[in-house]
Amino acid sequence: MSTGVVFDIKEFAVFDGPGIRTTVFVKGCPLRCQWCHNPEGLRKEPQLMVSRAACTHCGACDAACSHPAVCNACGACVTACRGSLRKIVGERWQAENLAAKLQKDADVYALSGGGVTFSGGEPLMQWPFVKDVFSRLSGVHKAIETSAYASDEVFADAMACCDLIMMDWKVSDPELHRHFTGVDQAPIRRHAQMLAAGDTPFILRMPIIPGVNDNPAHFETAAQLVSGAKALQCVELLPYQRAAGAKYEMVGMEYQPEFADAQTPQMFTDCFEKAGIPYKVYR
Amino acid sequence: MTDRIQLLKDQMWNRVHHAARMQLDDALPLCYRAPDMPDVLRTANRLKQSLEMEQPYLFEGELIAFTRTVPNLPMIFDKAEWDEICQNHFIHEMGNVSNLSPDYGKVIASGLLAVRDQLGAQMEHEAMRISIDAVVNLTSRYEKAAREAGMADVADVLAHVPAQPARTFREALQSLRVLHYAMWCEGDYHNTLGRFDQYMWPYLRADLANGTETQESAFELLEAFFLACNRDSDLYPGMQQGDNGQSMVLGGMTPDGQDGYNLLSEMCLKASAELRLIDPKINLRVSAQTPLEAFELGTQLTKLGLGFPQYENDDVAIPALEKLGYATPDARNYAMAACWEFIIPGRGMEIPNIGALPMANLVDEAIRTKLAGCRSMDELKQHIRDDLFATVRQIISERHDLYVIPSPYLSMFFDNCVEEARDISLGSTYNNWGLHGTGLAPAADMLAAVEQAVFGENLPVQTLLDAMEANFHGYEALHHHLKTECPKMGNDQDAADQHASWLLHTFSEAVQGLRNERGGIVRAGTGSAMFYIFHANELGATADGREKGVPLPANYAPSLNLKLNGPVSLIKSFTKPDLAEVINGGPLTIEFSDSVFTQPESITKVAQLVRLFVLRGGHQLQLNTVNRDRLLDAQKHPENHRNLIVRVWGWSGYFVELDKVYQDHIIRRAELNL
Repeated sequence: MSTGVVFDIKEFAVFDGPGIRTTVFVKGCPLRCQWCHNPEGLRKEPQLMVSRAACTHCGACDAACSHPAVCNACGACVTACRGSLRKIVGERWQAENLAAKLQKDADVYALSGGGVTFSGGEPLMQWPFVKDVFSRLSGVHKAIETSAYASDEVFADAMACCDLIMMDWKVSDPELHRHFTGVDQAPIRRHAQMLAAGDTPFILRMPIIPGVNDNPAHFETAAQLVSGAKALQCVELLPYQRAAGAKYEMVGMEYQPEFADAQTPQMFTDCFEKAGIPYKVYR
Repeated sequence: MTDRIQLLKDQMWNRVHHAARMQLDDALPLCYRAPDMPDVLRTANRLKQSLEMEQPYLFEGELIAFTRTVPNLPMIFDKAEWDEICQNHFIHEMGNVSNLSPDYGKVIASGLLAVRDQLGAQMEHEAMRISIDAVVNLTSRYEKAAREAGMADVADVLAHVPAQPARTFREALQSLRVLHYAMWCEGDYHNTLGRFDQYMWPYLRADLANGTETQESAFELLEAFFLACNRDSDLYPGMQQGDNGQSMVLGGMTPDGQDGYNLLSEMCLKASAELRLIDPKINLRVSAQTPLEAFELGTQLTKLGLGFPQYENDDVAIPALEKLGYATPDARNYAMAACWEFIIPGRGMEIPNIGALPMANLVDEAIRTKLAGCRSMDELKQHIRDDLFATVRQIISERHDLYVIPSPYLSMFFDNCVEEARDISLGSTYNNWGLHGTGLAPAADMLAAVEQAVFGENLPVQTLLDAMEANFHGYEALHHHLKTECPKMGNDQDAADQHASWLLHTFSEAVQGLRNERGGIVRAGTGSAMFYIFHANELGATADGREKGVPLPANYAPSLNLKLNGPVSLIKSFTKPDLAEVINGGPLTIEFSDSVFTQPESITKVAQLVRLFVLRGGHQLQLNTVNRDRLLDAQKHPENHRNLIVRVWGWSGYFVELDKVYQDHIIRRAELNL
């Protein structure tokens, strides 16, 4: 029996695939994208999250803490806080229990052409767990949202297991890719090519970040990657939202984007239209 | 939107017509208050005086005329008379006929003069005659004014209706406008437009068939009618601005068992989406057979943040009403009262909001006073059952010698009132009363918390009571446990939901067999009206971990201090009780963030969610689309948000016109949105 760390389970996730879906956010990601809006999904371990805006500094949390030097996410301060401003993000689930929870709403998914999506963090970082959960679901449409940063074996396995893969294409220039996401682009490009050549329905998702990738070359590279892909459903463009930095302080991190986050990113969709590639823009 | 509709809307929105409104003079001769004049004649004479004072006012580009220039006249009794009546009678709300669905279709079809021909010498008939003549006289003055203003088309229509039978869709709309307008002038309120798409459809169908109207021209007329419903709404009495009962019901089964959803139903949904105004408030009757497209059209309105349509499920409501004793054609013909109570057009003098059972308060009281002596949940629940029965009986027994101010004009729209020379205030075919039930979810959550913490984990009762008394100060760990680790209604957890099912079932048993003084039954419901504010003020901290001062949810909705799993669990929880047993009405209310609707597919997804509720046996549903930041900004800068519409408890109003306590409640709901 496998276990995995989950930091959120969201019902009626309207942007994570077709129909009425539940999205499971698994914790831990190998990438460090500068625009990441789920910083609580980066580390694999459960961790403390604090909403400081409404804090009255009553001191109840400090009084409850038995290891002030290093937080071990024991949760003592969570119950002590009168304002319910603290929580532990990340809960360890057994695959069987998570599958049972998801299977409970299979009738709802079926009624609407929906299903279950695993997102993150990076679901392929905990692939054995995700696969275990998927294998226990019957009659449920299965999707993942992934950076595609994984071994070729894992990615091929995911393509075989999933009914839909939503894969990010973040930065086309390999050097800039490493700079802004922290990882090598090569496996990601390989996996995009695997999807383009394969039968697993997929969506290419492009976060459009001002000054980073809102240039024609990036759009054209993406268009080339998926051109002729028979299982491509759509390219989805996700313009950067300024609210992305909101949760950093809550997990004790600083939001330090090296791009002009106040700017509105530009779109260069001509290449999709010319190539007849379906695309849409999320606002 | 045509230029003409835009012109009409702009005038309305800029309140150009308010300049024509009269200030009532304190020295106004109140001829209708002669000491020896019976109440029924007083009402008729007040209507006469009111309509005689009215000055015809025509908008530029007018299509459907009639605009108020006279605010409501003083009531038919002076203070001493009214005090005496109040001493000897139960008075419901303001004492007027309210919350009914007049059979406007009948009078539109026959014309007022055909009704007048049936009147004899009895006093009630005399009062009806005075009323009809007053309406016909004002219509003539409007006709003359329209002709002088060069609006021959408006004048021609008014020359015919409402005195004569309507022959076209336009005449029918104009007739309805006049008839509904006069209802307000009589002093009645919260009386609805009913099944508009049913009684108006024959006129439209004929016009489209014979070329009198095109769909486009008919749509313009419909929008003009909708606009007219908004002109005077600030003059209508209600608990809050916007709470005016100007609702209509679309779709649903016809009395003979057919599907009533028609082209006009669809046109109404589209007109409402285009105009984006609070009136008329739309109810959409649906069933398992309703195509997804109809839900999608409804969701387009939801997306705009109008707070309607409110959905009613025929599959649940019709059999439930039959079981309560409504004849099958009547049950199929149900409409909604001002908010969400199920009523029968033209055949009911029902009071579906005569009181409210405070469920959270009952359970809280039992926990405080009886739990210590209970050895099991069953014993606690037996106490609650006894208290609930006693409370219901007390509410009903306190309501005797009902007096309702006569409404001879409105009586003409109800079965047998003309034939039997009877005033509607004295009763009709159905004379049932309804009780709301507030605080269901917190009550269920309290029981679930007690079951787990006290009976499951051996928490001493005294500790629980001390913690509640201290508003959980010094009991933080217990507070956290009760609030976040005990089951909650809305999370699809049977451990909480079963208590809600039990409470509603017990409520329905408690009203069974009760008769009010008019021979009607008593119906249990899941609505709250404004009682959710009143009842919360009487509560301290509660066993479910709710702190003192946290409001109760409005209507049939989860507790307000929780972050829940999401709308799927919510719908599953709230469709577990047998809602046919509580068919007085009261919708599940779901708040969505407007960010849900940034993609077009969301329309279909939300529509599927609504359909899920219907398929699972939900009775009634309303959805609110809100943006918390916008609400907060509207509190600070109301001048920038005049058109911001929100759903309050069973009606939609302009946010900036609400009292702060209601604004705050909506903001709190928005913080939990799904």
